[in-house]
Amino acid sequence: MNQTESIVRVEQVSKRFGKVQALDAVDLEIMPGRIIGLLGANGAGKSTLLRHIIGLYLADKGTCETFGCDAAKLGPKELSQIGYVHQEGELLEWMSVEQLINYVSAYYENWNGDLEDEYVEDFDISLHARVGSLSPGQRQKLAILLAIGFEPKLLILDEPAAGLDPLARSQFLDLLLKIIQDERRTIIISSHILSDVEKVIDHAVIMQAGRILRDCSFDDLREEFCRVRLTAVAGELPAVLPFDDVLHCERNDGQAVVTVRNLSEQRLEELGQGLNCRMEIQPLSLEEIYKIVVR
Amino acid sequence: MLLEIDHHSGVPIYRQVIEQIREQIVAGQLGRGDQLVSVRDLAEQLRVNPMTVSKAYALLEVEGLVERHRGVGVFVAALGKGRKAQTKTKLLDRIMRKAAAMAVQFGVSEEEAADMLSKLYRRYDSKTRSSK
Repeated sequence: MNQTESIVRVEQVSKRFGKVQALDAVDLEIMPGRIIGLLGANGAGKSTLLRHIIGLYLADKGTCETFGCDAAKLGPKELSQIGYVHQEGELLEWMSVEQLINYVSAYYENWNGDLEDEYVEDFDISLHARVGSLSPGQRQKLAILLAIGFEPKLLILDEPAAGLDPLARSQFLDLLLKIIQDERRTIIISSHILSDVEKVIDHAVIMQAGRILRDCSFDDLREEFCRVRLTAVAGELPAVLPFDDVLHCERNDGQAVVTVRNLSEQRLEELGQGLNCRMEIQPLSLEEIYKIVVR
Repeated sequence: MLLEIDHHSGVPIYRQVIEQIREQIVAGQLGRGDQLVSVRDLAEQLRVNPMTVSKAYALLEVEGLVERHRGVGVFVAALGKGRKAQTKTKLLDRIMRKAAAMAVQFGVSEEEAADMLSKLYRRYDSKTRSSK
């Protein structure tokens, strides 16, 4: 496949479950090598969208292509290139870890035994432990191993860290940071916990009520907003501050805290020079950015 | 090439990488012809997305601070004296401006502020010279 061809192309996909419009004319194109954060509250439509991409749901309207093939008709060739870890994470409880790995790997011609050994060692899980007795963190690691052991080109992680305690979550993030070092792999991670993904992703897709509100580079999203704290050097700040596109402003005579959009640091400094004030520019947290985008 | 990334600062990681490398080049810790750590190795070392490092290197190249030799790696470019001075001034200006504004705001006189700066300057300078 050509490197510039998209791995996933979703066009005008709508899906309704009874009275709920789960997806509403969604467009999404995913290029190879990207690490995408699919962000949104519970019920925004993240999982539904992911399930369309791998053909588990059929769209009421619109088209969904994965690896250039209609997602509803994916065959073994395409499916063996997709790793999928979902929130419920159902595994065969009665097997031992070793049995489960052997069982799953037997389905794949391209299973990478070296990678398996490396991860098993990393995970610190006994191969003889029963799957049903593993902690949530261990289960999730095992599920990931099973999803990447065959080196899929597309890895889909649906709320992978939702059920984990803080320590397991941090270990899981380390694991993700290791996985993303392979530049050929495309990864989609859905999450409603923003801090889970911000270290890892390079592209953000923000969903709300079945629609995609934003689909852009994560750096661009970060740089779109910032907060400026102005302190008058002497006397008062002018009554009108020279910024366009102010999202929020709190001020008194000598100080102001202004949240602005689409103003580069350089431009801000230029604007601030005429004010005779001390200026501190701070980025917003991802949570704050998310709140602005969805409101 | 030692870089440190603050994941909680909210500053995009590629910008942290750029700023730190730029500073090292201006300070002479990275000299003309020095090879930067490869994208892959730096990404692994910093535990960040390789695309992030790639982006940072590409922007440093646009800025003219580094050169990419295809198939070999990325190297610190030859900088004209004027160019280096300009970058230096820009970096310093940003920091000094804050200090100056604060001094005025606190009602510290120009002489006092200048004196403080001189003292600090001499302190670092003598340490730098004796360590050489």
